[in-house]
Amino acid sequence: MSDHPYGDHVALVLESCPDATEEDIVKAFRQYEEEFFIPPQDAMHSIIRKLQVNTTPSSAGRSASGGAKRATKPMRKVERLEELNGDDQNVEITVQVVSHNVRDQTVRGEQRTIAFGLLEDQPYDSSTPSTRWEYKDWAPKAELRAGSIVRLEGASVNEYQGRRSINVNKSTRVVVLEEGTAPVVVPGEPLSIADLPKEGNVCVVGRILGIRPDVIHRRDGTGSIDVVRGRLADDTGSIGFLSWEPLELDVGQLVKIDGASVRTFRDTPELNFGRTTTIEAYHDAAFASAEDLEASSASTIADLRDGARDVRCVVEIHEWQRRTFTRDGEERHLWSGQVADPSGRCRMSAWDELPIDEANLPVTVRLTGVRVRAWQGVPDITVDNAEQVEILDSTPWEENIDFATHSVDVDFDELAEGGGRVGVSTTGLIVSIRDDSGLIQRCPECRRVLRDGVCQDHGAQDGQEDVRLRLVMQGERSTISIFLNRESALALLDTDIEGLRAAITEHGAMAWVQTLRARFLGRSATVRGRLLVDERSSMFMAEALEAVEEDGALMATEARAQWEVA
Amino acid sequence: MEPSRNIRRQPAWHVFASEFGEATLNEKGSGEYDPSFVITRLGAKVNRCLVAGLLERVEARETSSGQTMYQGQLRDPSGLMYFSVGDYDPESARESILGLSRALEEGETMHVMMVAKARWYQTDEGAIYTSLRPEEVVRIDPSRYSAWLARTANATLARLDAYERSQSVVSEGPAAMKQAGIPEHLIPGLSLALPHYDGASVEQYRLHVLQALDIAEGRMDAVRSEPTKLPVHGSEEGDGDGEGAASGGGSDDASDVMKQLIATLDQGQGVDYETLIRNMGARGFDAGLADTTLDALFDEGSILEPNFGWYRLVE
Repeated sequence: MSDHPYGDHVALVLESCPDATEEDIVKAFRQYEEEFFIPPQDAMHSIIRKLQVNTTPSSAGRSASGGAKRATKPMRKVERLEELNGDDQNVEITVQVVSHNVRDQTVRGEQRTIAFGLLEDQPYDSSTPSTRWEYKDWAPKAELRAGSIVRLEGASVNEYQGRRSINVNKSTRVVVLEEGTAPVVVPGEPLSIADLPKEGNVCVVGRILGIRPDVIHRRDGTGSIDVVRGRLADDTGSIGFLSWEPLELDVGQLVKIDGASVRTFRDTPELNFGRTTTIEAYHDAAFASAEDLEASSASTIADLRDGARDVRCVVEIHEWQRRTFTRDGEERHLWSGQVADPSGRCRMSAWDELPIDEANLPVTVRLTGVRVRAWQGVPDITVDNAEQVEILDSTPWEENIDFATHSVDVDFDELAEGGGRVGVSTTGLIVSIRDDSGLIQRCPECRRVLRDGVCQDHGAQDGQEDVRLRLVMQGERSTISIFLNRESALALLDTDIEGLRAAITEHGAMAWVQTLRARFLGRSATVRGRLLVDERSSMFMAEALEAVEEDGALMATEARAQWEVA
Repeated sequence: MEPSRNIRRQPAWHVFASEFGEATLNEKGSGEYDPSFVITRLGAKVNRCLVAGLLERVEARETSSGQTMYQGQLRDPSGLMYFSVGDYDPESARESILGLSRALEEGETMHVMMVAKARWYQTDEGAIYTSLRPEEVVRIDPSRYSAWLARTANATLARLDAYERSQSVVSEGPAAMKQAGIPEHLIPGLSLALPHYDGASVEQYRLHVLQALDIAEGRMDAVRSEPTKLPVHGSEEGDGDGEGAASGGGSDDASDVMKQLIATLDQGQGVDYETLIRNMGARGFDAGLADTTLDALFDEGSILEPNFGWYRLVE
C-alpha cells in the first residue's frame, strides 16, 4: 500500500475518518483521479464525507444531515401551546389528542399516509382553559389515538399564514400517559366522512347537524314525494343527506347509519337513505360535540364544489350589482358580484334582494343553506332567498382581504391538473419565454392577434398595438402557458409603453426577447392570476409575476437534508 | 370532464451530463406528432431538459448538405453535454449560440443554461450517443448556476431513490411501483429503463450529485485550487507568478507550459480543455492566450485532439 502518491491526503482523511482503512482511502483517491479526473486535493472533501457516511451509525448520519442548527437545538419543554413560537423545534409538551384521522396525501409527489387532528394542552389542569391546535403526524404512530394523553418529545411548530400547528415528525417520541377510548375502526366498519367513496354502499357514524322536511316534485307533474334533508358530520368533515323514508332524528344526535348509498351530483357527494338503511343511536363519549362540528363544517371558498348544497360559509362581498332581465314578459332581477374569504375568491349570485348597500362595500355575510354552481371550474354561490344571508358586523378572520391582490397559493401540479380557478397564485420554474413576446398587433374587430397584419377571421387589418408576454412554467411533472397582458408585463419590466418600444427598437425584437430570457429563464417565479381551462388547453392569465430570489447554497443544503445525504 | 391535453408541452428534466450521456434507450411513438424520448438509466424519460454548465467550446461544421451546424459542449460537475444547432433550429437559439461562441473566442469564461430537446443517434458500429438541440439559451451568473446545480442534484437524488425502490417491484407493474412510493411521473421511465439496462452506476451518480452540491454550497476552494502535486514548469515561472507571469509569459513560455501540463496530466485518455485552461490560468496565462496556444500547438502538429475537447502530446 506504499506505492501510491496520496500520502499527505490519506493522512488528512484518516484524521477526519479514524474508522476508515488506508486501503479504502487510497482506492477512493485512485477512483476519483482515474475515473473522474479529480486530483486528490479536489477529491478529499467528498471522500471524507463519503467515508463518514459509510462508517458512522445511520442515526448519527441523519442528525448531521439535518444541519447543525437542528441538531444542536436543545429540547424546549413547555406546558401551554401558546408559549410556542412559529419556528420552535424540538419541543416537549403534554397534550390530549382530541381527534386523530388518517389520510393519504401526496407529499413532494409521493403518496404518503399521514395523520392529522386536534390536540389540547394542559390535560391535567382543569382550572385553566385548554388551547386547541391542529397537528399533523407525518409518520403515523400507533400511540396517537383520540382521547389519549401523551407526551410529545421532539415535536416542532409549523406556522402557516399566522396559524400555528404541531408537527409530529418521524423522530418525535410519543409517550402514552393515559390510553384513550379510540373509536373502533375495523375494515367493513364505519368510514369517516372524509373517506367516503363517491358512489357506493357505506356505513357511517356521525352527528346530525341539520334536518328539515322537504318535498321533491316529480318532473312529469304526477305529484310529489316527501323527503327529509339534512347534514351529518364527524371530525373529518360533513356531508348532506337525503332520506326517502320519514326520519325521527334531532339536531345534535349521534347516529350510526348502515346501508346508506353515496351518490355524487356534479362534484358533490350526498348520502341517500332508503328502505334498507338502518339508523340507530350511537354512543361515544369521545365524539366531537355538535358545536365543534358546526364550527368546523363551515366551508371556505376553496372547498366549494359544483353541485354542493346546504353550504354554510362566511364571505366578504366586494362587488354587488343588480341586473334586470325579462322572463315570460315579467321584469325580474338578479344580483351578482364578487366575494372573497381567506381561502380564495369567487362569484356570488342572488335571486332575492339582499340588504346590501353598494356604497358600503365590503360587507361580511354569513350564508346558510346556499348552493354552488360552477363555470370553467370556478364556483358561483347561489342565494335563493334573503333569509339565507345574515349580515355580520365584522369578519371572523383577522386579516384584511385586499381584493385587488387577494389570491390563494396552490401547488403547481395540482393547479395544472385541475380545472379553472380565479384568485390563485402558484410557484414554478420558468422554462420558456416565447419569441412572440413583446409588442403585438390586435385585430380591431375581435382583439385576436394579427399574424403579418392579417386576422384569421377579419382579413388584413390596421392592427391596434398591445403588449403581451408568453411564458411557459413547469412544476414537477406538468407545464402551464402563462400570459402577461400589457399592464402586468409593463409592471414586471418596470417600464412604460414608450420605454418598452424604445428597448425593442434598440435591440430588435428577437434580441429583446433574449434579454428577458437572460433575466428569467431557469428561474423560479410566483404568478398570481386566473387559470382558464377549456377542452384544448389551459392558460394562466397572470396579473403579476415575481421571480423568486433563490440561494443555491441553501437549496443544496435542503436537498442534503431531504434525501439524507451527508 | 378532464380536458384532453395530448398536445401538452413536455416538461424539462433536470439532468446531469453523466446520466444523460450514458443513456442508450429511446422511445418514439408511432404517430407523426408523438414526442420522442431518451430514457436514462435512472428512468428519466427525457424529451426536453434544462441543463447548465461551463461553455467549453463551440465550433461551426459544414454538413454534407451544405448547411452550417454549430456544435459545442457544456461541462457540469459530472461531465460533458454535447449540443448542436442547425438551420432547422429556432433562429433565436442559433443567434444566442453564435453570440456566446464569439464571447468564448474572446477568452471569456462563462456558464450557460439551455432548455433543449433530447436527441440520440447511432453510429455505424451500433454505439448510441445522446446530444441536445437547444431551444433557448442564456448565459447565467454563478448564483443561477448554483441554483441549477442544487435543483438538478435534488431531482437526481429523487430518481436515485425511486430507482432503488423500484428494483424489487418493477416486475409487478406500475401499481406496485406506486405502492412502493415511487412518484408517478417516474414510473413510465423506470418501467422501461430497468429491464433494458444492466443496472446503473448509482455510486457514481451519487458522487456527481455530492460534487454538484459542494459547488452549489460554495465549497469551491478544493475544486479551484492549484493541484499541489503538479510541478510548476520552470522555477523562475513558479516564483514569479501572479502579476509577473500574465504579461511576462510570452507565447513560447505558454507553449512549453502547456506541453508540460499535458504531459503531466495525461493519464492515458488525454487532457480535457477545461483542465488545461484552468491550470494555465493558475500559472498566470489567461484563457485567451491558453486557447490560442492550444490552437497553435495543434496547428504545428505538437498535440492531437483524439476526442472532441481532449488533447494529447504527439509521441
